[in-house]
Amino acid sequence: MTRKNVITRLIKSLPAAAALVVAGGFAADAQQLAGGKSSGELRALVDSKLAGKTVAWMPTTLGFPLTDMWTHVMQQEADQMGMTLDVRDPGWNPDTMVQIVNSLIADKPDVMIVHNFNVQLLAKQLKKAEEAGIHVVQVNMVSNYKTGAYVGADWGQVGRMVGEDVVQACGANSGSSGKVAVVQGDLTSAASIEQLAGFKEALAADPSITIVSEQDAAWDASKANTITATVLQQHPDLCATFGFWGTMQNGAAQAVKAAGKTDQVKVYASGEGNRQDCTNVDDGLFYKFLNYSAPRQGEAIMSAVSFMLQSGLAPTDIRMAHYSRPFWVTRDNVDASMCFDVPG
Amino acid sequence: MTARTSASSRLHDLRSRFSLRIFLSDLLSKSWMEPAIPFAIMVALITYFSLTVPNYATVYNLVELPRQFAEFGFVAIAMAIVIISGGIDLSVGAIVGIVNLVALLLISVFEMPVAVVFGASVLCGAVLGGFNGFLIGYLKARPFLTTMVTLIIYRAIVEIINKAYAVEIATAWVDNAAWEFLGDGLILGVPVNVLILVIVALVGHFFLRNSRPGWHIMSIGSSRKAARHVGIKVERLLFLTYVMSGVLCGLAGVLYAARQSSPGTDTGTGWEVTALTAVVLGGISLAGGKGTIGRAMIGAVIVFVLVNGLVRLGAPGPVTSVGLGLLLLVAVGLDVKWAKNRAKVIQKIYVNPTLVEFGPMPEIAPDSGTPLAENNALSSVDAIGLDRIQGPEDVILDRQGRLYGSTREGWIVRFSGPDFSQRDVFARIGGRPLGMAFDKDENLIVCVGGMGLYGVRPDGEVYKLTDQTNRTWYKLNDDSRLRLADDLDIAPDGKIYFSEATIRYEMHSWHVDGVEGRGNGRLVQHDPATGETRTVVKSMVFPNGVCLAHDGQSVLVASTWLCKIFQYWIAGPKQGQMEVWADDFPGYLDNINRASDGGYWVALVGIRYPAFDLAMRSPAFRYRMVKEIPVDEWIFPGVNNGCVIKLDANGKPEASYWDPGGENHPTITSMREHEGYLYLGGLENNRIGRLKLDGVDETWTGWESYWGDKRRDV
Repeated sequence: MTRKNVITRLIKSLPAAAALVVAGGFAADAQQLAGGKSSGELRALVDSKLAGKTVAWMPTTLGFPLTDMWTHVMQQEADQMGMTLDVRDPGWNPDTMVQIVNSLIADKPDVMIVHNFNVQLLAKQLKKAEEAGIHVVQVNMVSNYKTGAYVGADWGQVGRMVGEDVVQACGANSGSSGKVAVVQGDLTSAASIEQLAGFKEALAADPSITIVSEQDAAWDASKANTITATVLQQHPDLCATFGFWGTMQNGAAQAVKAAGKTDQVKVYASGEGNRQDCTNVDDGLFYKFLNYSAPRQGEAIMSAVSFMLQSGLAPTDIRMAHYSRPFWVTRDNVDASMCFDVPG
Repeated sequence: MTARTSASSRLHDLRSRFSLRIFLSDLLSKSWMEPAIPFAIMVALITYFSLTVPNYATVYNLVELPRQFAEFGFVAIAMAIVIISGGIDLSVGAIVGIVNLVALLLISVFEMPVAVVFGASVLCGAVLGGFNGFLIGYLKARPFLTTMVTLIIYRAIVEIINKAYAVEIATAWVDNAAWEFLGDGLILGVPVNVLILVIVALVGHFFLRNSRPGWHIMSIGSSRKAARHVGIKVERLLFLTYVMSGVLCGLAGVLYAARQSSPGTDTGTGWEVTALTAVVLGGISLAGGKGTIGRAMIGAVIVFVLVNGLVRLGAPGPVTSVGLGLLLLVAVGLDVKWAKNRAKVIQKIYVNPTLVEFGPMPEIAPDSGTPLAENNALSSVDAIGLDRIQGPEDVILDRQGRLYGSTREGWIVRFSGPDFSQRDVFARIGGRPLGMAFDKDENLIVCVGGMGLYGVRPDGEVYKLTDQTNRTWYKLNDDSRLRLADDLDIAPDGKIYFSEATIRYEMHSWHVDGVEGRGNGRLVQHDPATGETRTVVKSMVFPNGVCLAHDGQSVLVASTWLCKIFQYWIAGPKQGQMEVWADDFPGYLDNINRASDGGYWVALVGIRYPAFDLAMRSPAFRYRMVKEIPVDEWIFPGVNNGCVIKLDANGKPEASYWDPGGENHPTITSMREHEGYLYLGGLENNRIGRLKLDGVDETWTGWESYWGDKRRDV
């Protein structure tokens, strides 16, 4: 829990940190920002750093609530700050992702936001982009090359939190088999690698728990469904299944339901908290859902962008992260406000 | 009047020369046409995106775009080779996927040297391709199903390797300068992978086009059975094509690994479809046996540039995919349609009628009392060599009075003896010998349809004078070859003037040129002294008979479909000019020759009739006819009547000799006056006719009039 507090503090201190950097970097200006007109002067100063700037945004694909919601919030924030948001959709095609990032390096937007497909794919390009003077923000799935900012879940933390809960539900005193299945996303995605590591770390606390399957469903609900159906046949006494993304784990939940084991198999998932996630909890398809809230992430992404631009620092001089605060959605606390609908 | 004629003839000239349809039909019949279209599309796309996509034509882009393209280029070549061999390889993308993982595994987990990784990756590709090749070549499995199955197997292998090693690979940070260089390096400013691609593409191109195994692969693709019958080792070569495909995919895989270092099961997914699209777009037929590596590269560049351009214009992923799918559909559709219909399309648009306005039809009624009044004068001519000669288009007599005919067999047949009963084949030239003339040295100069201008020495030895003229720079069709040299005559200075009736039709379809009525012919001059040949008058409408005027100052050229005789001046103040010399004939003119009295003889190959005259005035009508009904129902110029007209020295008709109904001498194409007789040749006749002329100089012969004491030019 101490870790959570640290993170919370970090989030809260972000705007202050930004202001500090601005103040530090522009001490001469800062001195003049006093008196009755200072509010207007601050606004003018900020506008001079932000207005008219271009922010390019490449999710792995559009068409999912996660990426659509991010895009929606980012667009609103960009409008608020007077910036242009240039959305590029690679349609989940790695070749296209490389092409887009390469073309963005040529186009030189002020900031590039990428949602990494895996930890290696764009590493070289992101390095090149920073060297070319473009601020790079990585969202939710980070690359092996760490750029100026990372905004997203701390996957180790997410994995650990779910792990700790699984220990409660399936551990030595639970009276269950202690068998746990993991449904991974793309194996080489940061979200899979780190989430699995955190999860295993927490499970290590209870040797009675065994992971019977850790296959990857490549973020695909139908694959998760097939995998889980098979696992349920091999291990009819399965205690829990943990999927690394709610949208994907929905398929696993359906498999559990089809097998008539909704009461026995506890379906865990982490995710951005779209409407379906809450519905699944409400309907009992999900046992518990760990939500890192896409709308909040969208705002945090743009705060990071705002900070980077206002700081006046070179892209390679910034190394920061904003870790999303995950919160549990359970049948007891589930509430419409915990999940979002993509507007429009 | 003259002004109007020349203005309207100039307009006609222009119409004859330029026609979009002719341009198209010439274009379509070109062999370089097929890659030309994709090439143009490629250039257009690159130009379009350079203009519309910001920061496209930058140095960074010039280096990075080809770098991103290279691996796909290898796969397109792999697909091309296999398709040319008559197969297909759907497993290309999966092989790239496996090799990508294998290379990453070797470099990052096992930390092997780059050279070993490179070699092992290519070998891995070869083995995977070889498995396909073994199944398809030796076990004779169907390529489509086989490679579809191996696609699934190979994809599963990718999943297995991925599951076992992906995280290890993904989390390793390779620090190997040579590996970095392979993926990111530049040699002389060119990315390493692009350089390798260029070399491989060049080698592949020459391998397919210029090497024995390359030719064998092409022939297997054209017809496997025929290839087997000529002794080509079909099994082994098919096996090799799939090995080659595997090697190329292996290259793509290792270079992709070096460039992207990205494990994951998505590498190479769907590349088989993209490569297929590229190859078909490049004009490589799915039926096999046709195509080059160059075309595959053009297609690959099109696909890549298009996808990249759409991506850069911000098109969402699914839109790009749909676009690519539609492109493949269109390309495959065109491939099928093109192969099936190209010849038909050319045939449909090949004949291009143009406007021909005839003057009034002169009076030819038997009782009209005019010189052209129809009569029976030819019904009683003697037949020489009846059934012993086939289609003497031209006839001529030599100094000794022997009679020569140019025949359908490609021979010059000679009749000699007091009553021409002795028949010899004087020379066998080949082609279709047409007009003839004797030169000063008594060599027989012959226009040979399909071959050019030839000579026959008095001892029967055949020699070539020329088979080409200068090429017209603006014409797509190489018009330097002589297609249908028709008739000739020789000027006092020894220069030979000959007509080439049409450059668009062959001997067997010469009458189709009449439906077209376009200026497809030309007057060509050949100088035997220098061996030089050049076109002196272009765009003439079926120039046929050629006759040097008695004074040696001009050449008379009869235009068959215009029913006119032109005069082209070769000496004197009007040298180089051409004008109408005689007009408004009742029929279609063929050869024209000198008469003993200073006038001329002209042969009519057929008689005009009002319906066709009307049709000639309406090109649209004839165009519709050509398009909509089969050839044997077209309206054609009538070539069934026999007629010879005697002209005076100024081209005015003096008398005419008819064979109504063409009983004995239909389609008269030639006549020669010789010692009081007129000898008649006909394109389709089985004889040479001889008619006694009254009141003429019975000592006059053609040879004497050109080279002896009957000359009038001195």
